[in-house]
Amino acid sequence: MSSSEGQSIILSPVGKVQREILDPILRAIPQAFGFCARTIALLDGVDFAFDRTRVQYHSTPILKKLAMAAPPQALKVIAVTEVDLFIPILTYVYGEAQLGGKACILSTHRLRDALSPPKNQNIYLERVVKEAIHELGHTFNLRHCQDPVCIMHYCHSIKDVDRKNDQFCRYCKVLLQDELNRLEAGLQSQSQLDHP
Amino acid sequence: MGTCKILIVDDELIMRESLAGWLERDGHEIDTAASGEEALRKLKDTRFDILLVDIKMEGISGLDVLKQVKENDPDVAVIMITAYGSISTAIEAMKSGAYDYLLKPFDPGELGVVIEKIMEHQAQTRENLFLKEQHRDATRFESMISQSQPMQKIFDLIGDVAPTNSTVLITGETGTGKGLAAKAIHSNSPRCEGPFVVVNCGAFPEHLLESELFGYQKGAFTDAKTTKKGRLELAHGGTLFLDEIGEISMRMQIDLLRVLEDRVFYRLGGTQPIEADFRVIAATNKDLEEAIRNRTFREDLFYRLNVICFTMPPLRLRKEDIPLLAELFLRRFAQETNKQIDQISREAMDELMLYEWPGNVRELENAIERAVVVGKGRKIMPEDLPIFRPALSEPPPAGTLKEVEKRHIAGTLERNDWNIRRSAQILGIDRSTLYGKIKRYTIRKQD
Repeated sequence: MSSSEGQSIILSPVGKVQREILDPILRAIPQAFGFCARTIALLDGVDFAFDRTRVQYHSTPILKKLAMAAPPQALKVIAVTEVDLFIPILTYVYGEAQLGGKACILSTHRLRDALSPPKNQNIYLERVVKEAIHELGHTFNLRHCQDPVCIMHYCHSIKDVDRKNDQFCRYCKVLLQDELNRLEAGLQSQSQLDHP
Repeated sequence: MGTCKILIVDDELIMRESLAGWLERDGHEIDTAASGEEALRKLKDTRFDILLVDIKMEGISGLDVLKQVKENDPDVAVIMITAYGSISTAIEAMKSGAYDYLLKPFDPGELGVVIEKIMEHQAQTRENLFLKEQHRDATRFESMISQSQPMQKIFDLIGDVAPTNSTVLITGETGTGKGLAAKAIHSNSPRCEGPFVVVNCGAFPEHLLESELFGYQKGAFTDAKTTKKGRLELAHGGTLFLDEIGEISMRMQIDLLRVLEDRVFYRLGGTQPIEADFRVIAATNKDLEEAIRNRTFREDLFYRLNVICFTMPPLRLRKEDIPLLAELFLRRFAQETNKQIDQISREAMDELMLYEWPGNVRELENAIERAVVVGKGRKIMPEDLPIFRPALSEPPPAGTLKEVEKRHIAGTLERNDWNIRRSAQILGIDRSTLYGKIKRYTIRKQD
């Protein structure tokens, strides 16, 4: 996998998110995508997305705001929040992503299900990392994968999250590499335009 | 799970958008409609596998959409969605042919499970159709006869290509005989003593296609009670014909590319590499270059398949073959049905010659079969071909071939109240071809 100079993936905590949750994500991003990752808080809060009836936060407007707030050198942005997210048609979501776009968001709210911390903190952190890479995968144009152990597999339940690996399957690796090649080609032609 | 074409019908923008975004991440092709009216308009132009319809909408309700869809094309699966979940509405929707019923908002996994079940069911139906067609094709080999210039060129090409080991890509409209051309290449090749193995890539859901192609080891999955050879292995020493290659999923494209490059593969659950020696012929009625632009077909696989490529000409461009083919089909069906019909009247032949045959040779074959069944005398008369008569009783239509074809399709649809299944049957083409033509010619229902 390749990385392009100056391009990075931004990890943006929203609200109070513990450092011990952000660090494993920061470490996993370069391994998965080949780009360096850094933490920048891009949003002051997400109250604007709060739905009083559902007592949850609508993830789509957060994504839009996040994409707009992203600095130019940010290739992708992932927000991490502890609040419970939803999209109108579904009761809840672990996260949402702009397919092939810039932004995605992950909620840690339901990832503690069936765990009694701090005993199972490692399992919890594994879940967080898997779902963060999964959402970022969507921004690299990856769709859900039918392989139950691939990180891009869509998880119906927390058990499914625990069952899958923290790696892309061989198909998703090929599709990710295709997308990285396309990005690389796009960045190169942009750079030629900027510096003829 | 593979992917399918889904239409979301909901009058709330936020619901349409959130559902569309969600399903796109599963890889499905999504379109939306803000009302029942818009949905019905879109359904005239495009064929969808699944409809997600909100029951309560202004104007044409979700239940009305369901009823109209089921009347025109019963194979489309409709899932009803509502925030007003009453048992009576659910029962009414199910009675009218809805596949399932979901209350919004629903749990994230719920819809995926329903869609997966529908796709399995639809793939099974396609496979059954394919098997019937394949059985029929076994008797159709002789219909590769021709005296026309375009087909003579194809015969020459087949003659040149057959002795080589090159991969061949055959394109062309439905019913033009792509499968027959593939069989002809095999039969005239040094591999003719080996097997000719057909895989209809569009007929299987992804996971079944995988086990069909690669085979599996005993215990590879729950139902794998014994080891089974895949079609790649079965094609050893012969030819592998990949029909409808344009329908293959991205995952399978990756696997297939690897096999074509290395000629080595593994059975599912197997650890032993298997080498197989087969020639590949692929066929499609899709524009693969457009599919590459839409990122639904891999460019590297396309170049791997597109070593030698030719297009089967449509029947309308080789009308001189119509008498030859019609006589051939007449003899066959008369024999099969034990009927004393041995001629086609000049008037009936005129009708056959004037028609544009959007479903190509297959449509002609169906028309003759029908004529033999309904014919009373020794000759096929124009009245045995009722579908062509209205067009002829009107003043001869002026215009291009395309205009004539458009008029004929529109007329057939109107005469059959836009019943797609019946119209496709009469036209002798499959429903997806008819939908394609309705879209291409922008044919609309007359008020």
